[in-house]
Amino acid sequence: MADVRLQRLANVLVNYSTEVQPGEWVGVLGDVAALPALREVYAAVIKAGGYPSLMLSDEYMSRLLLREGSDDQLEWLDPSHTLYYEQADVYIRVNATSNTRAMTGISGKRTQRYSSAHRSWLDTRLSRAAEGKMKWVGTQVPSEASAQEANMSLEEYEAFVFGATFCDQEDPVAEWRKISAMQQKKVDWLAGKKHVKLQGPNVDLQLSIDGRTFINSDGHKNMPSGEIFTGPVEESVNGWIRFDYPSIVSGRAVKGIELRFENGKVVEASAEENDELLQAQLDTDAGSRYLGEFAIGTNFGIQQFTGSILFDEKIGGTVHVAIGTGYPETGSKNRSAVHWDMICDMRNDSEIHVDDELFYRNGEFVV
Amino acid sequence: MADSRLERMADVLVNYSVAVQPGEWVALRGDAVALPAMQAIFAAVLKAGGNPTLMLSDEAMTRSYLRGANDDQLTWVNPMQKLTYEKVDTLINVLGSHNTRSMTGIDPKRLQQRQRANRELSEIFRQRDGEGSLKWTVTQYPTHADAQEANMSLEEYEDFVYGAMLLDQDDPVAEWRKLAAMQQKKIDWLKGKQQVTLQGPNIDLSLSIDGRVFINADGTKNFPDGEIFTGPVEDSVNGWVRFSYPSIVGGRAVSGIELRFENGKVVEASAEQNEDLLYAQLDADEGSRTLGEFAISTNFGIQQFTGNILFDEKIGGTVHMAIGSGYAETGSQNTSAVHWDMICDMRQDSTIRVDGDLFYENGAFVIEEA
Repeated sequence: MADVRLQRLANVLVNYSTEVQPGEWVGVLGDVAALPALREVYAAVIKAGGYPSLMLSDEYMSRLLLREGSDDQLEWLDPSHTLYYEQADVYIRVNATSNTRAMTGISGKRTQRYSSAHRSWLDTRLSRAAEGKMKWVGTQVPSEASAQEANMSLEEYEAFVFGATFCDQEDPVAEWRKISAMQQKKVDWLAGKKHVKLQGPNVDLQLSIDGRTFINSDGHKNMPSGEIFTGPVEESVNGWIRFDYPSIVSGRAVKGIELRFENGKVVEASAEENDELLQAQLDTDAGSRYLGEFAIGTNFGIQQFTGSILFDEKIGGTVHVAIGTGYPETGSKNRSAVHWDMICDMRNDSEIHVDDELFYRNGEFVV
Repeated sequence: MADSRLERMADVLVNYSVAVQPGEWVALRGDAVALPAMQAIFAAVLKAGGNPTLMLSDEAMTRSYLRGANDDQLTWVNPMQKLTYEKVDTLINVLGSHNTRSMTGIDPKRLQQRQRANRELSEIFRQRDGEGSLKWTVTQYPTHADAQEANMSLEEYEDFVYGAMLLDQDDPVAEWRKLAAMQQKKIDWLKGKQQVTLQGPNIDLSLSIDGRVFINADGTKNFPDGEIFTGPVEDSVNGWVRFSYPSIVGGRAVSGIELRFENGKVVEASAEQNEDLLYAQLDADEGSRTLGEFAISTNFGIQQFTGNILFDEKIGGTVHMAIGSGYAETGSQNTSAVHWDMICDMRQDSTIRVDGDLFYENGAFVIEEA
């Protein structure tokens, strides 16, 4: 039977996140593992008067291509998808997986070859979005596999996901508008500020946001969302930070990461587990030792780490930084093949000062 | 557990029916319920060097579209589909349903509106098929719903479907090539012939094939397959035929159909059940009382009627004819919105004579070759 929370989620995606208008061409994308949710989204698009294009994929086939495809096959682009990215108005992706570790045995090189060949689709989507020509949102719906990854039962994980998206409440859109308004106030306050200083048991770091823009991430591109983020001035980062939560790269967890920055660059790095992965990421290219993002998570519907960055980076009371590429709309100039988020808990004895004013304490804004 | 017959089916489809070549764009179309078949075909296309893409649909979404869409939405043509129809090298359609009756409650007017909009796509398809720039095939994945429609259990229906595809043979492709060669000999023999007479307990009919071409349906565009067909000379059909199996139109079965022809036109028609449907079809337009197709079926892997025309029209030992539009490649000139196949059993006391020679008796060809 249909889960009313799925219907609410579909409504949020279609009528809040992307605000589908009559006559708009709307791509509905996802794996067959997400079919129940996709059906709700599809029905909501029809109700909103959009023209839905269903783009269903299947994990097994995607994996097969990555494992066995020739270089030509890996690099081939479906012309109908290229057309979609060039011309459609809306992109709604609903992720779900039957097995979060199914890619473990696939060679990273082959995955990379596939991704770089398909980068044009991503670039087209993001650049058209920047021009205001394409609206997009991505979400993730519960599955046994994701629940397992989070060390939960399916029903616990469902409660977690629908809590994080406020779809366990009557009117999730009202909740998202509230968060959006609250975040906008902080973003407005931060406009024109220069100096950020973070202090606490896990962090002693300073960075400049001079001339940079904070973005209000309020559930329009990610569902759930709940963060404000910017790109710090590249050479301004100094100090030390320890990340409380594992950071996942290619399905493998790197735990107990500590980084020390000098003039923007990571000069010391260690991890308690999978240290070699951390070093490999840092050594990827010229931009991978610099921060591309600094963000404050505000979603108190998310209280625990689940191994999915869509949720983890928004945990209320945490900050996160990403080494590697930044978002141009923030003013970040750092470019890299890497964008790797790491999350730091600020809920205990921690403070953020902005231009020497107390801005945030123990997980909450104080301005 | 994976059914190894699915892999064999995929192998025959990809390497025999559409013979995928390296670098070809191959679109796989079907409902998500047919996923196991699509996965096997996807793997075979990859192995053959093709570029497989998925056009997966979902019955529940199709229904919510047909039910909820406004007029603009109903007449919208998906640009991704259009581009695919225009450019794809090979199209593989996989039938298979969650519920063969799930569309019963949809307003037929809305269905028609949707079909009219999609005519743009079928026109592209027809044109590219005609000029030979598109390879395509249709096949069936056995589901519970399709088994139910055939009054069988799933495991019986699987045996039926894979048997009809000759996948229970050691080398199915060799079997299909054998069937193709056998059919080709009959077609070669029929070349230049003129008069066909069918006689038996269910039939007493004559028709002319003068100047018409027989086509060898050998598992390339339909899978399974097994028939040779042509379009009879339009005004040449005279006599009487009783059809042994119900004929399905719009999901409803018309059974016990009898037709009498005079100079190509149906002049008398009756049915034991749903006769009103029969008349509605015959009166559809100018061409709907005239035969567009005459065919002899050769697939002895299919022994029973299941209500699915992909299989029924190939039952070995039967002939079938269709009122309504014919296939241009046979020389048929009849056009109509209707193309309705009806099947006549020839396995008992029945003969086909061609220009006076005994050509076929009790379900089997009796001439060897020319």
